[in-house]
Amino acid sequence: MRPFLLQVAAVTLINLKSIPQRFWLSLSTVVAVALVVMVLLTFLAMSYGFQKTLSGTGAADVAIALRGGAAAEINSAVTRDQVRLIEEGPGIDRGADGRPLTSAELYLVVDGVKRSTGTKANLPLRGVGRDGANVRKGITIQAGRMFAPGSNEVVVGKSLASEFAGFDLGQTVKLGTSQWTVVGVFTADGGVFESEIWADAPAVQSLFKRENYFQTVRARLESPAALASLKQYVESDPRLKLDVKTEQDFYAEQSGQTTDLIQKLGWPLAIAMAFGALAGALNTMYSSVAARAVEIATLRAIGFGGTPAFIGTLVESLLLSVIGGIIGAVATWLIFDGFTTSTLGASFTQVVFSFHLSPALVLQGVGLALVVGLVGGLFPAIRAARQPIVAGLAG
Amino acid sequence: MSDHALVRLEGVTKGFVKGQESIAIFKALDLAIPTGDFVAVMGPSGSGKTTLLNLLGGIDHVDAGAITVAGQRIDGLSENALARYRAANVGFVFQFYNLMPMLTAAQNVELPLLLTPLKKAQRRTHVETALAVVGLADRAKHYPREMSGGQQQRVAIARAIVSDPKILLCDEPTGDLDRATADEILGVLQTLNRELGKTIVMVTHDPAAARYAKRTLHLDKGQFFEKDLAA
Amino acid sequence: MNDFVLVFKNLFRRKLRAGLMIFSIFIAFAIFGVLASFERAFNAGQELAAADRLVTVNKINFTQPLPYSYYGRIAGMEGVKRVTFANWFGGYYQDPKQFLITFAVEPRSYMDVMAEEFDIAPDAQAAFVRTRTAALVGETVANKYGWKVGDRVPLSSSIFSQKNGARSWDFDVVGIIKPKKPLIDTNFVLFQYEYFNETRSFAKDTIGWLVLQTTSPAINDKVIKTIDETFANSPFETATDTEKAFNKAFMAQLGNIALIVTLVVGAAFVTILMIVGNTMMMAIRERSREIAVLKALGFPGGRVLRLVLGETLLLALIGGLAGLGAAALVTTAMRESLANFVPGLALNAQIVVLALALMVALGLATGLMPAVNALRLKVAAGLGRG
Repeated sequence: MRPFLLQVAAVTLINLKSIPQRFWLSLSTVVAVALVVMVLLTFLAMSYGFQKTLSGTGAADVAIALRGGAAAEINSAVTRDQVRLIEEGPGIDRGADGRPLTSAELYLVVDGVKRSTGTKANLPLRGVGRDGANVRKGITIQAGRMFAPGSNEVVVGKSLASEFAGFDLGQTVKLGTSQWTVVGVFTADGGVFESEIWADAPAVQSLFKRENYFQTVRARLESPAALASLKQYVESDPRLKLDVKTEQDFYAEQSGQTTDLIQKLGWPLAIAMAFGALAGALNTMYSSVAARAVEIATLRAIGFGGTPAFIGTLVESLLLSVIGGIIGAVATWLIFDGFTTSTLGASFTQVVFSFHLSPALVLQGVGLALVVGLVGGLFPAIRAARQPIVAGLAG
Repeated sequence: MSDHALVRLEGVTKGFVKGQESIAIFKALDLAIPTGDFVAVMGPSGSGKTTLLNLLGGIDHVDAGAITVAGQRIDGLSENALARYRAANVGFVFQFYNLMPMLTAAQNVELPLLLTPLKKAQRRTHVETALAVVGLADRAKHYPREMSGGQQQRVAIARAIVSDPKILLCDEPTGDLDRATADEILGVLQTLNRELGKTIVMVTHDPAAARYAKRTLHLDKGQFFEKDLAA
Repeated sequence: MNDFVLVFKNLFRRKLRAGLMIFSIFIAFAIFGVLASFERAFNAGQELAAADRLVTVNKINFTQPLPYSYYGRIAGMEGVKRVTFANWFGGYYQDPKQFLITFAVEPRSYMDVMAEEFDIAPDAQAAFVRTRTAALVGETVANKYGWKVGDRVPLSSSIFSQKNGARSWDFDVVGIIKPKKPLIDTNFVLFQYEYFNETRSFAKDTIGWLVLQTTSPAINDKVIKTIDETFANSPFETATDTEKAFNKAFMAQLGNIALIVTLVVGAAFVTILMIVGNTMMMAIRERSREIAVLKALGFPGGRVLRLVLGETLLLALIGGLAGLGAAALVTTAMRESLANFVPGLALNAQIVVLALALMVALGLATGLMPAVNALRLKVAAGLGRG
């Protein structure tokens, strides 16, 4: 066994040491694989970042009530009477003053301008109840202060303020027919709320002529398990034709379609490109075998077996593609990790999200590179092992 | 000829197929080479000199007939068995040296030893000895590109003898060298034969080279014509 | 024998290598064809927009309603030839996942404003105006669900409900809408606004947006100004724009599709360029001796240059055309299933022309270095090699 391993090691070393002789060809394989991995990882990072933003929104112990059948807040409507009935429901946590922790909210779409492109963008304006920030966890005013009830003041999510023009602290912005002052910037654990404008619900209702209805009611539950009792309460009251679910589930459902679309675009593209890179890898490795024909034949004449030649060729191919894969992953990380952009979400408003490259995604990318290297090296390696010695010596 | 021949060919037939017709190189060729012999094989181009060497080295196959080396039938062996046969019994020297350009002289010489169970220290000793035999002890760390053709061929010879094979097969070992260098190389081969008793089969087209051998076989139209140089 | 035969034989002397290179190029152009078709389909709205058509929406955002009365007020303005309006229904068929683009419209004016785009049979037009529960179904939708004239179909809304609490409305299919030009999307359903307005439980007498035709594109700016100034400082301010600008702004909301397409195609091309370029360089180097022989025979340098460039051009064209063919098949296969997201997915002449130009560029770029090397090759050196 030892001589065999030594043989393999020696032939592999000879192989690897000969790479500089085919520098440009080998480099082209490395770059090709790197580009394939970059394309794949960019798409996956985009999809994952979007998903992370949505799944980071909402908690399991916050219930959201929407009109039956409405999949998005913008399509929902809840009347004042229904809000009151929900507030009387079971399982809802209470604030320090003993009142149920709920927030009846309006959800309107207003026009904004995207900084990067200067184009119009749909932005969500959320009118929240007095407990709007308390119902949710993780809402923190980062700069300025909370809006004063009854005033035309707004606080804006951190992402929204950075992606869209005109929402800097202290600025006055025209939403609808009225002027609003930005008095604070808030964070929400990186969730969707950071892409929103928040104002006092009664103020929004009166300035947008929506006096009598809301879009949703949020309620902080005593525990995630309390959802069942609230749900049962809503279902048993004919006046409440509402769907109740946890906020967490609500946002998770919304991420599905978009992330699906991005992945369905990313994988086929990357696989198609991988085939192109595979052709390149095969070419490189066949050239490598051809260039080393005399060396391989000489080793065989000395008494080396075919297996070391096979393994050596395969290792060369795998090494080139793994280097490519790592370069691709590092490049994607350097260029795109944390890259912030926005797209239309399920509520027809812009969701700001950052590309995020996780170790699991990097593994998928390097895995694809390995497959290219394995297949690209396999056939040339078989040729290296089977090549007749006499023909090889003839050069 | 002696029954104790190191190498024995009996009724060896070998041809190749070109298009529709098959062309014979050897028909029922017989040959015996005793241990300690130094045979030069000469003949016109296409006469099958290199094919003979390849058959002896177990890197080409006979169509019919038997080849026995050191008591072992090598025709009909599997590829793996042939590789083991070569590792144990054969040292090759090629016209263009065929050194690995990315390995040093010592590393090149060490290659065949990787096929043996020798330890690293033992391998080093063997390599040093082999390089000393060809007079290149001081060039161990040099790469092929840093050496002359003659030096490279000496490294190749060191590689061929380092595992102490029973037979050295040299294919035009001086074909790419000038006269003076060629004489040096041939001198090395002669020394190996005379002082270390190596059996050598050398293919050459150079009568001057052939004179270093103990005897010369002329190969033509698939048959040998022996000419004893001493005579 | 002529130069083409020589080029062809040179290219395919190493069948495996030529095959691999053609395959790489094939992939690159298949990706190009599919992504370019996507981009075109995304931007079709801008390109098909009529120059004399304007869109008026609520200034807050186009999802906010406008009062029904604006329809009559705008119709009477100077420079407005025709006006119509539509209301988003949020429709779906049976399952909320099977969403259907559905508009409630004023039948006569809507068909008049869209006369250049849609082919609707005269009797279907009459039935749509006459029948309260009538619906016109786009060809794409009709094919997808197998609906025919005379069918009665229930469509649900994810936004509205009827006064009686029902979430779905029954419609009678009275006609099929066919496109008058290629790329025009017919993946939608139209029904009568009046029927919708009378039966829905809230937001009565509001409309989604107005589409109007001006008497001439030259006065577009003037009409836009007139409309928006008329409604300024009212509870429902308007934002009017050309149809083209409106569509463009809407697509921009999805994020920068063009940029992604360009980046991916760019990456694919760089990859292929490198692979093919390097391989060709190697192939020509291997052939130094033969090229030297050609030169020794008296072939002039220019001819040798052409032979080498011809080889890479041939390679690019074989792979590229096959890739483009594959892209055409893929887009055709995906057209139906992606109709809701990217209507009118197709490979058009413009993409083909651009692809051909890219093939020539690829062929020249990959062949240039090897060709110049071949041109420079000294006969004696070449004959000495190998």
